[in-house]
Amino acid sequence: MEVSMSVNGDTQTSDVEPRTLLVHHIRDTLGLTGTNIGCDTSSCGACTIHVNGESVKSCTMLAVQADGTEITTIEGLAGDDGELHPMQAAFMECHGLQCGYCTPGMVMAASSLVAENPEGLDETAVRQGLEGNLCRCTGYHNIVKAVLAVGDTA
Amino acid sequence: MSVGQSPLRHDAAAKTDGSIEYAGDTVPAGALQAVVVFSGRAHARMLLMSTDSALAVPGVVDIITAADAPVNEYGLTMRDQPALVGVDHTGAAAVDAAVSRWEADQIAVVIAETRAAATAGAAAIEVEWEDLPLVDNIDAALAPKAPLVHPENGLDTNAYHHLRIRKGDPDFGFALAYAVIDEVYEVPHQEHAYLQPEAGTAYIDNEGRVTIEIGGQWTSEDREQVAHVLGLPEDRVRIIYKAIGGAFGGKEDMSIQIALGLAAMRLAERGEHRPIHCRWSREESIVGHHKRHRGRIRIRLGATHDGTITALEADVDLDAGAYNYTSNKVLGNAHVSVAGAYRIPHARIDSRAIYTTTVPGGAFRGFGGPQGHFAIESAVNRLAAELGIDPVEMRLRNALVDGDDGITQTVMPEGVSMREVITACSLQAELDEALPDPEPFSPIASLPSATTSLRRGRGFAAGFKNIGFSFGFPERCEAEIVLNGNPNDETPTSAELFHGGAEVGQGAHLAMRQMASDATGVSLDDVHGHFSDTATSGDPGSASASRLTFMAGNSILGAAEEAEKAWREGDRPARGFFRYTPPPTEALDPETGTGAPNFCYGYMAQCIEVTVDVDTGHIRVDRVTSTHDVGKAINPALVRGQIEGAVVQAHGYAISEDLQLADGFITNPRFSSYLIPGIGDIPLQVDSQILEFADPLGPFGARGVAEMPFITYTPALTAAVHDATGLWFNTFPLTPSRVLGGLQAAEE
Ligand code: FES
Ligand code: FES
Repeated sequence: MEVSMSVNGDTQTSDVEPRTLLVHHIRDTLGLTGTNIGCDTSSCGACTIHVNGESVKSCTMLAVQADGTEITTIEGLAGDDGELHPMQAAFMECHGLQCGYCTPGMVMAASSLVAENPEGLDETAVRQGLEGNLCRCTGYHNIVKAVLAVGDTA
Repeated sequence: MSVGQSPLRHDAAAKTDGSIEYAGDTVPAGALQAVVVFSGRAHARMLLMSTDSALAVPGVVDIITAADAPVNEYGLTMRDQPALVGVDHTGAAAVDAAVSRWEADQIAVVIAETRAAATAGAAAIEVEWEDLPLVDNIDAALAPKAPLVHPENGLDTNAYHHLRIRKGDPDFGFALAYAVIDEVYEVPHQEHAYLQPEAGTAYIDNEGRVTIEIGGQWTSEDREQVAHVLGLPEDRVRIIYKAIGGAFGGKEDMSIQIALGLAAMRLAERGEHRPIHCRWSREESIVGHHKRHRGRIRIRLGATHDGTITALEADVDLDAGAYNYTSNKVLGNAHVSVAGAYRIPHARIDSRAIYTTTVPGGAFRGFGGPQGHFAIESAVNRLAAELGIDPVEMRLRNALVDGDDGITQTVMPEGVSMREVITACSLQAELDEALPDPEPFSPIASLPSATTSLRRGRGFAAGFKNIGFSFGFPERCEAEIVLNGNPNDETPTSAELFHGGAEVGQGAHLAMRQMASDATGVSLDDVHGHFSDTATSGDPGSASASRLTFMAGNSILGAAEEAEKAWREGDRPARGFFRYTPPPTEALDPETGTGAPNFCYGYMAQCIEVTVDVDTGHIRVDRVTSTHDVGKAINPALVRGQIEGAVVQAHGYAISEDLQLADGFITNPRFSSYLIPGIGDIPLQVDSQILEFADPLGPFGARGVAEMPFITYTPALTAAVHDATGLWFNTFPLTPSRVLGGLQAAEE
């Protein structure tokens, strides 16, 4: 089936098997390997991207369901000049990553969490908002710090 | 000076913008896909295997079986495992290659144009099995006339590795005791759950080497094991580590490396030169790799009125599962740590690793330390309670100090800081202040917060962990440094560091660059690292056992000195190579356990505050104080990251992670049913307290830290739960149902 979607600002049209998951389409067909796969049960959030501005686990959607949508992956989050998105910069500066495998999904989930809460976030809201994203390395404290560093001043 | 500072990780930008390449990200165009086929039998003898129908599946290119393995055996410390189980094998193996001893013994590698075709091919392989009796737990394995899992080793028992300690006269010691506790502790499996499942790509490189791009923990050891099975000299195999999505001990043993290596070698021989890619699903990962050992520890501990320990007896039984992996080494650590960091005049300890037909036990952060410490620290807390002595005071009374003999009857390596660490932790945790009233909490957001059913408690534990592989293992670590500059430059303008040490997320490569910067005087930005490729870097030893900072640092200091010598002699560029070997360690005497097994320890203490909801059984950890003598924090932010990460991993071990086995099969190999902590589950506050009592052998004084914050968490937590509820739990995870069950049983 032919699907067409805007991915990080570029229109991408491809022929996909109807059963292809969006995450596989992004990684294998489009070659955007920043979006990771950590589980088979929609539990980990490593595959989180933005679909029409909202964070979505891309393993829970078929590629055909994304037809006509606007998709942003971690590769498309930085500005055109390559300047990191504030959330990316905050994860770096607050040591919010170790192996980094969860990081793209965390950053995508956190950036939409902040965008959805323009009045600002507190620690409890960050913990609730990122409940669907697992990290096995950091113990999460630095991730909370990174999100608050951006979310507090939003 | 860079050491002691916390510069940003050089890999942080690539990890936040998605450009970093994990093993398996770079699938070259046209690569073939491989699926590793598991036996699906806990214990069975293969009678027949046919790949004819599988080879006829459209898209299937080839199938690798036992017949393709020149040497069909492997293992990190003992070669007791067939690379591929099969009837039609080369016979060059010490182990019976026709027997599956756990559900994930590998029987074939199906290579196809697509993953779907490979999966279909795997399903079309026909196998006939003769079931053998299950030996699915240690009681079954130890029963009289139990079937032997490895009859080929010539032993008449499944308890294939036995360590002893005989010190003083335990009967006399117990006779001196005023109080004695005698308890049995059960420790569960734990799954590593690194977020990246196993993935890799294999090909023949332009020098004709079988090359495997993968994530692991020890390049040279991976190479050795792959080369052994492939029947190749080691220099015909090349291992390259791409970015690694976590490891924690779970990538120390082989998973898909041998399968990939065999496939690349055989396909090339048959004229097929496309690269071969393999990635495991989460389910394949959980079923297919080893776990933290489950086991049972019986302990008797006696002390006088004032809390002075007089005697210890312990029996440590670890379930090694189907193959040894590193069980013999893990057992050694459990064996020594079950005595804690205490002076114990009289002791008998017997520790056994026991084969069963279940998932192998192996390396996992702490490496036997968590099991041993759960038993001894729980026993000390219990004995203190029985004697009415403060648990901190009890520990201070018995803690080892410099000059003391350890439980193995040799003097402790210099730099014993157990007392200082205990004292610092107890002060930081403000133990003299009463706990405030509980804050309401509702573990499930839709429920109203509980208020009247909440109980608060506080628990303490302390301990130690050796740095390195120990027990006589020939430890080594190699580094090369190249100093660049012009002939008349006084000092080098830049430096290249070549090192094999694995970056598994901990920040090792940054710490190594920092140490290289200080060692050469070249600014950090101008120290360039070239890491983890056996074609360019030497033997690093493993990124495990809390050893890498210590070992790599010493190798870097040596290499820098060599390079500087060459620089002074006018070499441009100036090269220095160094192989660091720490003081030798000793295997323990088989009868008495006497010996000097270790050259360095890190010491730790933890205090945990909890709130328990006695109506629902939920536990909230309000505060953790985690105190560590790291010798020298090369990068304090990275050290804190290790502490915070290990604490949360230990929190999962203690509270929620519950691997289920039935008839030798893992029944919950999914993140939806094997629950690692999420961001909402973690301790509300973690105070990392870093102490720096320099280790005399450590680079810049550094010891290690990666495992220590894991090791004492569970006994500190169960002590806190006891403080809150009056109940001692001798097993875990303390899921709500287990806590509630305990509370209800106590009421009846
Ligand atoms: S891969 Fe999508 S949630 Fe785990
Ligand atoms: S940094 Fe490794 S999983 Fe989060």
